Amino acid sequence: MRQSRMRRVGLNTLALFVFAVMIFPVYWMVATGFKRGQDIFSDPPVWFPFHPTLVNFTDAIHTAHFWSAVKNSVIIACAVVLLSLVLAFLAALALAKFGFYGRRAFIVLIIAVQMIPLNALIIPIFLVLSKANEVDKLSGVIITYLTFVLPFTIWTLRGFMLGVPKDLEEASMVDGTTRFGAFVRILLPLVGPGLVATSIFAFIQAWNEFIVAYVLLHSPEKQTLTLWLASFSTSRGTPWGTLMAGATLTALPVVIFFILVQRKIAFGLTAGAVRG
Amino acid sequence: MSSRFPAAVAEPALSARRRRRPLLGLAGSWSAPYLLLVPAAAVIAAVLAYPLYYMVRLSLQHYGLFQLVKHKGEWVGTQNFAQLFHDAEFWHVVARTLAFTAACVSLTMVFGTLIALLLAELGSKMRLLLTAGLIFVWATPVVVAVDIWRWMVDYEFGVLNWLLTFLHIGNYNHHDWFVNPWTGWGVITALVVWGAIPFVAIMVYAGLTQVPKELVEAASIDGAPAWQVFRDITMPLLKPIFVILISLSIIWDFQAFTQIWIMLDGHPGPDYYVMSVYAYQNAFGQSEYGLGSAIALVTVAILLVVSFVYIRQMVKIGEVE
Amino acid sequence: MKARISAAVVLAVALAVAASTASGSTRQSTRKAAANEVVVWVMTDAQNGWPGALTAANNAFKAQHPGVDVNLQLQSWDSLLQKFDASLAAGSAPDVIELGNTMTTKYMAAGALSALKAGNYPNSKTWLGGLKASCSYKGKLYCVPYYAGARAVIYRKDMYAAAGVKKVPTTYGQFLTAGNKLMKKFGKNSNFSAFYEPGQNWYVAMSFVKDWGGDIAVQQNGKWKGVLDSPKAVQALTTFKSMVRKLSRASKTNDEAHPFPSIPFAKGRAASFIGNGWEWPYVFNPKGGAAPKSFASKMGAYPMPSHIKGRYMPTFLGGSDLAIPISAKNKSLGADWIKAFTGTASQKIIAKAGNIANTTTLADVNKHNPALAPFAKAAKYSWFIPTAPNWVNVEKANILKTMCTDLLTNKGSVQSVAHKASQQITKILNAKS
Repeated sequence: MRQSRMRRVGLNTLALFVFAVMIFPVYWMVATGFKRGQDIFSDPPVWFPFHPTLVNFTDAIHTAHFWSAVKNSVIIACAVVLLSLVLAFLAALALAKFGFYGRRAFIVLIIAVQMIPLNALIIPIFLVLSKANEVDKLSGVIITYLTFVLPFTIWTLRGFMLGVPKDLEEASMVDGTTRFGAFVRILLPLVGPGLVATSIFAFIQAWNEFIVAYVLLHSPEKQTLTLWLASFSTSRGTPWGTLMAGATLTALPVVIFFILVQRKIAFGLTAGAVRG
Repeated sequence: MSSRFPAAVAEPALSARRRRRPLLGLAGSWSAPYLLLVPAAAVIAAVLAYPLYYMVRLSLQHYGLFQLVKHKGEWVGTQNFAQLFHDAEFWHVVARTLAFTAACVSLTMVFGTLIALLLAELGSKMRLLLTAGLIFVWATPVVVAVDIWRWMVDYEFGVLNWLLTFLHIGNYNHHDWFVNPWTGWGVITALVVWGAIPFVAIMVYAGLTQVPKELVEAASIDGAPAWQVFRDITMPLLKPIFVILISLSIIWDFQAFTQIWIMLDGHPGPDYYVMSVYAYQNAFGQSEYGLGSAIALVTVAILLVVSFVYIRQMVKIGEVE
Repeated sequence: MKARISAAVVLAVALAVAASTASGSTRQSTRKAAANEVVVWVMTDAQNGWPGALTAANNAFKAQHPGVDVNLQLQSWDSLLQKFDASLAAGSAPDVIELGNTMTTKYMAAGALSALKAGNYPNSKTWLGGLKASCSYKGKLYCVPYYAGARAVIYRKDMYAAAGVKKVPTTYGQFLTAGNKLMKKFGKNSNFSAFYEPGQNWYVAMSFVKDWGGDIAVQQNGKWKGVLDSPKAVQALTTFKSMVRKLSRASKTNDEAHPFPSIPFAKGRAASFIGNGWEWPYVFNPKGGAAPKSFASKMGAYPMPSHIKGRYMPTFLGGSDLAIPISAKNKSLGADWIKAFTGTASQKIIAKAGNIANTTTLADVNKHNPALAPFAKAAKYSWFIPTAPNWVNVEKANILKTMCTDLLTNKGSVQSVAHKASQQITKILNAKS
């Protein structure tokens, strides 16, 4: 009993240490958001803002187009997550559960697509979207993000699907459901953790992407939060306090999104335990 | 029926049934996989088909600003590639990029997996805390994260220098971390690995949740030590995920740009050139899109070769009979 | 089951499309009437530094064109060129674009900018020579000067006094002597610099080269040649190197923006530095140096003295120009907006914000402001980069920054370091376009 409690304490301590080391730069970002100007570049460094100020946050929120940037980022990220989950799930099914001509080629193709440096594709993509009249539109950005998110999402979901024993689908098919029905009723819940993990990935990719949004979106009211953040840096210095406050505000929704969906991962673990 | 492992008893009956009943219930069963693929493939093709073709064309042209304004490139065949291959610096850059990628990927996978294992062992509250912390790291915009690291190692006001001097580890006042490429690359690698760990840790953890607890418990009740259980039971089940994560990490770390660019304030010296920086300095930053496309194609070729082993695994795993 | 999934897919797609185009629809309808707006790309510097000038220009423009919207799109320096290139490639360039005065030559030579008539623009007869040169190519004008910046020495009057420097240096020799006195008095503190000179601040290094009669590159028989390895330039660089090693403790690998010298200056780590006019207020800016307002009484500025008596060391004349891309949709609207923004009213505001206006008629606007007058004075002796179309590639390849670091960290003799840089410059400037 004591061994198990000591083990618990040991693990928790380790977890706290890992947490502290990983989170330190993020802590610095958040703390700087609350610091006064003279505390930001100080010698010795100010470890904790004992004279906190909300000025940086209010400055950030009151800059032009902040709320429209929030709205745009939310729309883009949610659309990308939803669409990529649906499209990737279907495609991953094809790659994981069927043998068909061209399967290998498709797998290699979607892997190879991820290897192309984005810089080389920006202008050609801009040309394509310009012809389709999708420049300066959220939909143009969404479809471009989908292109970059899908390969990974398909690939990963396929991996999760392959980790699920076949017997379960077959058992349900014995019950008389179609194969597709088995996919949805049995497979889909079991790859739940994979869906959650890939949705977090898709969300973050869409939320924090810069160069594509920068080149495609022109009007100030179409900007995303990442572009809004970039506008703080000028050739005449960056207002670090305001930037860090803005960055904190930008990172928060992702954390909130995660907290909303994280139960799904835990569910998988406890489900296994119950069935023991 | 609902237990994860229907007993071996049920096996023969199932396989007999499987042989008798056609596998698919969808009409036109041969077309099912293609139908499933169409939506995703259509999106990717719509956005990338023409740009890919265009990029290959550009790589065979001299296409700088002058040509861009005139909308007309100048055909030079393989000259762009020849220019690359005859540049001695190019080969140094390739070697440096490979070394950097190897370091980042191995460190990321090791630490990420260790943290995932830790997550699996924690109680739900601690796990939520640590995971939320990881997510916060992952969610921080890359540029901002690099800004913070840049600041931490700043020559003039950096926390790291102050801390090391304060702890009497040495006189790090005005220590410039980037004068010596080894320490400079150390900092950059730490930054890249730090940013990549949350993704790997969370994906591996998600995979771990799929490993049936009964199997693990059965093995450890049998007396097998933890690392053996990990090696013999957990790893094989996680193999597809590891293969994906490693190949993705290779692809991403090979192309790392922002971290190096911002750490060095947008003017990296030749010691800090990796493929992406070299491409930017010599091509994209000078509006030379023909040369840039050639470098991009060479990058893809190198990546295909380097990750060949993993890709082959990816394709082989889950071959449907 | 299949039907349910398909329905969900359709619904999701429909929602996404609706959401994304809903916000786009209002813009769509005004886009269709494209003649009702002028698209302007200027840097965030304007919005942050002299927003009053933007407002004045927009108001003047709207008075002239009542039905026309000003679609102001603020840009950042970093990725501007890729965005501009993309819009040029697609034929959808803005009507007005701000370009740095070292970038213009390349775009002019490539034919990306429309030719303009100087006479149509305000104050064109008195435009700053240096800026006008950056807008001229093969005898034609392709952009309009926007603003310039000159550098001078910003210093701590109290520290100078405490070290026994009684007069402001007016020759380079006096400058060195003052520096030595300062290092003697305060140099024991390892953070202190008598003259804070970041290693990659090549503008200052090149000012030395110009002062000693050297140059970066010259044109001979239609070909460019890097000449930093000429005897005069090498002498200048040697002098520069010994000065920096004696008087500065700043990083040898950072440039003049990381950190802006105003910040260590505000924290008491520097007695002087060479900076732009706007770096003076940056010392008190809570987002920058964050020094208390009382600090201003300790500050002064003077033009960097030359080694030749009676002159100043030439200062780099940085700045921006405004151009109308050749594929712009509303060239005449763009021209009118530029006229408003470079008119006297807006230029006055820009000058008061710590810049140098584009016309010599406003040179005395800051005469009575001790914080800004020395910079206007310093602009009397200025230098500019070689007006080669490929010059901007030299900057992008960081040739001069790397050279300065190699110079200051002893990666070879001055001659060899300068020679290497000269060869690289020759190669880049002569590269086929």
